[in-house]
Amino acid sequence: MEEYNSGDEVVFSADEATSSVKECIEGVIGGTEYNQSKVNQWTASIVEHSLTHLVKQGRPFKYIVNCTIMQKSGAGLHTANSCYWDTATDGSCTVRWENRTMYCVVSVFAVAVPL
Amino acid sequence: MDDYQTEEETVFVVEEVSKIIKESIEAVIGGNAYQHSRVNHWTTSVVEQCLSQLSKLGKPFKYIVTCIIMQKNGAGLQTASACFWDNNTDGSCAVRWENKSMYCIASVFGLAI
Repeated sequence: MEEYNSGDEVVFSADEATSSVKECIEGVIGGTEYNQSKVNQWTASIVEHSLTHLVKQGRPFKYIVNCTIMQKSGAGLHTANSCYWDTATDGSCTVRWENRTMYCVVSVFAVAVPL
Repeated sequence: MDDYQTEEETVFVVEEVSKIIKESIEAVIGGNAYQHSRVNHWTTSVVEQCLSQLSKLGKPFKYIVTCIIMQKNGAGLQTASACFWDNNTDGSCAVRWENKSMYCIASVFGLAI
């Protein structure tokens, strides 16, 4: 794990993470309707698949993946994140997805591991 | 890292963090009813207050704090997190709070440096 000669391997790539997460969301809940008995499995699948994809990239990061699914019924929902880290190397990305019956918000936080 | 007297300073202490989160939520939204115009400010205040209390602990950790506030009107909400970290030193804590008009879920993830 010593060949980090190209500096951009230790910076979190939000774009790559975003597209990876979008695919995971589509794969799990694309084309489905909000279903109370399944939503538990869906959030678990989305975070697991997203995490697996990120870890496969083999970068020196710790990851936290968060997924929230909310039924569309007129309620208001607000989320906020705050991070205390090294802004040079760490990063996050948030993906918002929706269909006719539900909203899905997935956040990925990547924290660099000191080598 | 052979000085084991300071080992406890590099472990995420859930009770301590849970207390900080509860106090921050109470201080910001305790006694308030859901208000669309203020909720943006509330979520921001909850995470900022948690974060400043956490950094005051002076531990060698990076923190991620998230806060969700949802109006109570019968909608279903589910959240999940998965983490890829060092199980020996890193940890998380989630606090669920509610009153008559809203739910608040705040999570803190602490990663040892």
